[in-house]
Amino acid sequence: MAPRLAAPSGFPELDASLPGGGWPVGAIAELMSDAIGIGELSLLVPVLSRLARAGRYIAWIAPPYLPYAPALAQRGLPLERMLLVQTRSLQESLWATEQALRCPAVGAVLGWPAYIIDKNVRRLQLAAEAGGSLGILYRPPEAARESSPAALRLRLHAASDGLAVEIHKSRGGRAGLTLRVGVAPTVAA
Amino acid sequence: MSAALWLCIRLPRLAHEALAVAADHSASTDEPAAADRATIEHSAIAHTAMERLAAWAYQWSSLVSYRLPDGPLLWLEVGASRALFGGHAALLAKLEAELTQLGYSHVCALAPSPTGAALLTQVQQQRCVTTRSQLRSRLEPLPLSLLALPQAVLAALQSAGLRRIGQLLALPAAAIARRFGPQTCLYLRRLCGTASDPRPAWRLPVTYRARFEFGSEVHATTALLFPLRRLLLEFQGYLRGRDCAVLRFTLEFEHYRHAASGLTIGMSAPTRDAAQFLLLARERLQAAVLPAPVSALSLAALEFTAATVVQADLFGSNAQQLQQLQLLLDRMQARLGTEQVRGLALTADHRPEHAWGFVTPARSTPAAETQAPARPCTLLHSPRRIEPPERLLSGPERIESGWWDGGDATRDYYVAGTEDGARLWVFQDLAEGAWYLQGLWT
Repeated sequence: MAPRLAAPSGFPELDASLPGGGWPVGAIAELMSDAIGIGELSLLVPVLSRLARAGRYIAWIAPPYLPYAPALAQRGLPLERMLLVQTRSLQESLWATEQALRCPAVGAVLGWPAYIIDKNVRRLQLAAEAGGSLGILYRPPEAARESSPAALRLRLHAASDGLAVEIHKSRGGRAGLTLRVGVAPTVAA
Repeated sequence: MSAALWLCIRLPRLAHEALAVAADHSASTDEPAAADRATIEHSAIAHTAMERLAAWAYQWSSLVSYRLPDGPLLWLEVGASRALFGGHAALLAKLEAELTQLGYSHVCALAPSPTGAALLTQVQQQRCVTTRSQLRSRLEPLPLSLLALPQAVLAALQSAGLRRIGQLLALPAAAIARRFGPQTCLYLRRLCGTASDPRPAWRLPVTYRARFEFGSEVHATTALLFPLRRLLLEFQGYLRGRDCAVLRFTLEFEHYRHAASGLTIGMSAPTRDAAQFLLLARERLQAAVLPAPVSALSLAALEFTAATVVQADLFGSNAQQLQQLQLLLDRMQARLGTEQVRGLALTADHRPEHAWGFVTPARSTPAAETQAPARPCTLLHSPRRIEPPERLLSGPERIESGWWDGGDATRDYYVAGTEDGARLWVFQDLAEGAWYLQGLWT
């Protein structure tokens, strides 16, 4: 298999454990967070920021909460690169995710599908490959009990000093590790 | 001045194909009914189809002409434009490829006279001549029956023992006029390009409207795609001819037992590309529910813009990426609705819920200074009332708003922790003492 492209996560401890040294470009990564509000989005801020500063767009497909523009700007994300897409159904969300992933102008696509079958994950993975983009799916923690064709699957747990990232599946890499990642502080000093 | 050169297109199955294109692609249409209507409304259908083709042909020539009494023939004067399109072979190849895409059978011929070009569309081969002498030698061996003369004149020629056009052309003009009438003489001079042969120039309409009637009702939206493609290709030809582009056009659907319905297709940048139009129209059609089966389809455009408008306010991207993004935005907005795809921007307001807003996607906005303390990445759509939190991790940060901005309130913001390790952005309304959840430290 050809070496896969990776986009550095901005967290050296995480990059060291991921094949290629970062998030898989042209593939889907699933994030399964124990709870909402433990830093699951902050984990992506460095890579999103890097992609957006390189001129690519970030598509947010039907996020359950509003991405808060002042916070994104504070963390260095160029707001003019953000595309916020609202949908009325899961079908529309999957369609929009696929379209955005296929578009070479888009660097990363974030989706929150309530439910997704393997066939659709595969489809999105092909779209990510075609567009050379990074696809992130936020999935409920129960999804970890099932398998998925996604290239990378991470479980996220709250930790006192940041975020505990458990590598649940890593195509071409090692699974089973849990790392401490110091995501952005919640409160400025 | 470059010598006149006429391209004539014969469309032997014009009326039939104008109808059949819908019938062939719809399982629910029955052919005989379509064929009946074709004979009844033959001339009306040929006329609307010809109007659309004339608009399409305008991209190749500014002198386009047709006269339906002469037959399903469309003329283009291409003496000047053939250089523009890389020689007449290249021009013909492009034109014929598009005609095939449009679904019309066609025979093209090229000659220095429009009458000569029309005649050559009836021969099997060597239909292109560019000089008068070439035209004459090409005409000489052809049978007299190809001449567009009244039946009585053809019979008289026949009984005079003439068989080939060359034999007739060899006779003195005065003799032809005396024996077969002055009209015959004029026709032959026009045929050879020696008499003036004025053609009414078809005028490009200021607004565009094209209508496509089906032989019978079309039930499936997928069956609309082929005729739609034809309408859009013809529309593209019109836009090229006018050297302009559109930001929106309207599709109107007629129904037998229902008032007409319509869709407006909008674009984020001036466009004249049929493929992109079709992509957007298809998205919209898939999402739309038409009230009844469709009996006719129209395309209308009222406003036109220059073809090359650079959107200077799009943030320093290269042109190709911009196009790709525009295509994505147009597709998404066509399917999901314009308001469903947006961008984010800051607004200069100290109240957290007013410190940002939705904007047109991919537009640069003035960077606002953010000196506020750290903010959470996600916000609730509106603050939600909660029990007083048990664990406050940091705070307070006091944010006041007065009568001048619509709410006389003072809030103390904190970061609160939950049992499962989540961090919440909460505030206490000091006036009422109640606690609210406003954001999440995702």
